[in-house]
Amino acid sequence: MRILIVEDEPDLLRSLAQALREEGYAVDTAQNGEDGLFSAESYDYDAIVLDVMLPRLDGWELLKRLRKTKKTPVLMLTARDQSRDRVKGLDTGADDYVVKPFDLPELFARLRALIRRSANRTTNVIEINDVKIDTAARNIFRAEKPVELTAREYSLVEFLALHRGEVVTRTQLYEHLFDENDSTLSNLLDVHVSNVRKKLGAGFITTRRGHGYCIE
Amino acid sequence: MIFKSIKWRLQLWYGLILVLVLAGFGFTACQLEWGRQMRRIDEELQRRIGVVAAALRPPPPRRPDFGRQPFGSPPLNQPPDEGPPGQNPRPPIEFHLPPQAAGLFGPGDQNNFYFVIFRDGTEFAASTNQPNRTVTRSFHPLISVNTPSQFPAKEVKPPPPYVIGEFREVCRPLPSGEMIWVGCSIAPELKQLNLTALKLTGAGGIILLLGLAGGWWLVGRALRPIDSISSAATKISAGDLSQRINVAETESELGQLAAVLNSTFARLEAAFAQQQQFTADAAHELRTPVSVVLTQAQTALSRERTTAEYRETIEACQRSAQRMRRLIESLLELARLDAGQESMKRARFNLAGTVDDCAEQLKPLAGQRHVKILAELAPVEITGDAERLAQVITNLLVNAIQYNRPDGEVRAKLEAQSGLAVLTVADTGQGISPEDLPHVFERFYRGDKSRTVSNGNAGLGLAIAKAIVEAHGGTISVSSKPGTGTTFTAMLPLV
Repeated sequence: MRILIVEDEPDLLRSLAQALREEGYAVDTAQNGEDGLFSAESYDYDAIVLDVMLPRLDGWELLKRLRKTKKTPVLMLTARDQSRDRVKGLDTGADDYVVKPFDLPELFARLRALIRRSANRTTNVIEINDVKIDTAARNIFRAEKPVELTAREYSLVEFLALHRGEVVTRTQLYEHLFDENDSTLSNLLDVHVSNVRKKLGAGFITTRRGHGYCIE
Repeated sequence: MIFKSIKWRLQLWYGLILVLVLAGFGFTACQLEWGRQMRRIDEELQRRIGVVAAALRPPPPRRPDFGRQPFGSPPLNQPPDEGPPGQNPRPPIEFHLPPQAAGLFGPGDQNNFYFVIFRDGTEFAASTNQPNRTVTRSFHPLISVNTPSQFPAKEVKPPPPYVIGEFREVCRPLPSGEMIWVGCSIAPELKQLNLTALKLTGAGGIILLLGLAGGWWLVGRALRPIDSISSAATKISAGDLSQRINVAETESELGQLAAVLNSTFARLEAAFAQQQQFTADAAHELRTPVSVVLTQAQTALSRERTTAEYRETIEACQRSAQRMRRLIESLLELARLDAGQESMKRARFNLAGTVDDCAEQLKPLAGQRHVKILAELAPVEITGDAERLAQVITNLLVNAIQYNRPDGEVRAKLEAQSGLAVLTVADTGQGISPEDLPHVFERFYRGDKSRTVSNGNAGLGLAIAKAIVEAHGGTISVSSKPGTGTTFTAMLPLV
């Protein structure tokens, strides 16, 4: 899962990014509206955390322009807590609205919900044959037994599971699993896929040669 | 309860005054009328008493026949007495009313005059229609004076006419010792007086009712604005500050009062709204640093960290705390300036020196941003709080440096102009857009709609500067050309 944070307060931006990375997300950051809009238009993020008060281009304007091209779920982060501000935010195309100061666990839960909804799912638990993925706890069980996965491996499984039945290209996987700070070695993905197959069964992920991967 | 009401009290008071005036007027009118009647009657009585006195004279040498009286109805009962023997010789007297005077005394409704003559304490002669008061008359003080009568009798001043029962009488003692009473019934006059009094009372009552009704209407009309004032004030005190008093006529005193109250309410509402906005803005400004502290702390605590990571977290928290401290200080300073508690020191000092010091202190900041500070300062002495004004100057200079372009200039100029110290701080930055320009001195207003993290006083700096300059009796203004630069001008009185 790859997330963009647009926030002009450096301390807040850094700690948010760190916290989300530790939650297993790939995180990109932008400190002003223009950079944020550029990034948001360049990649298919799984979600965007967007501050309202931004230099150069404020959050409302960014959202308005972004909505012309992308349907990326957007969570607005703002200090304005009056109901008319929330109405404005939601009407402009925001998918959720969090008022500062916020609790990190709540922000994470809202992000999970956003991503879940954008994948047209209603629960946090995805079951594929005997494999059960709990996206809230970030746990995977195989035949009721917990399976140890690294954060990156888990993200790979979760992304493929959310797009179950679709063929996910390597480029898509790179875009959603790695952020701009990661060194993306070309065979890193193959290593993760083979590790997942060892842990969850060889047939769990199928390879469509020349296209990408798929969970059926 | 009813007497606490202004309307009722007014009504009571002028009702009372009206009653007194009407009663006084009616009483006087009756008095005058009565006096007039009495004077008329008294004239008649005096005329008649003269006639009676003239008819009473010593007998002529030839004794006339007493039986032959031309005046039949009032018979002259007694022959003139000689008085008690052994006393002073008292000339005999006889009473002979001339025929032409007979019509002057009764009988009849129209002519009810009567007379009584007393001689030596007893009735000597009387008209037939005299009311039966002989007994009371014999105790008349003048009779005792003249009885037993001496001749000539004492000179006694005739008493004024008086009223006894339904009769008006006048009494005249004669030098010869006789007493003559002439009187008449005043029953018609009394009846007339009662009727007049009744009419006046009736008219007075009607006037009183009209007056009370008119007064009630007038007071009601005059007090009606008070009702609308009190209903508006009640709603306002209940919290609805948008209420206003609805006054049609603003000419009257109450109309003017209502207008004054309305403008007070408007100011109250504006102040309240401003206060709410201010509180909301202040809370808003605190949200971001609190978010930083929370996020940093929650992230750091979510798992074991290295010392360096903890250090970084604590540093970020410290930065946020500093930011909150600056904000709180600014808020408190504004609150003190608003409340007028911030007493400005008043001392003579050279403003040019203060500007120079501030510019000197900001040289490093200007150097970092590659901005040159050019000062053109005429020595100007003013009276005021040097420390606070230095705060204003620093704020203007910091803004001019921070919003400048690299390699730009900040020009500080100080001169004395017609009793004012004029300080201008001009920069060569981007300028302020015309729509932002009128709001730059507003609290928490920022042109770029985002936090200027490096500034740190959260858009309160210019608001504080304005409050300080105004506390010195000065003014501060701004002009700007987008793309060319912004100029702030502070004018302070020299004394």
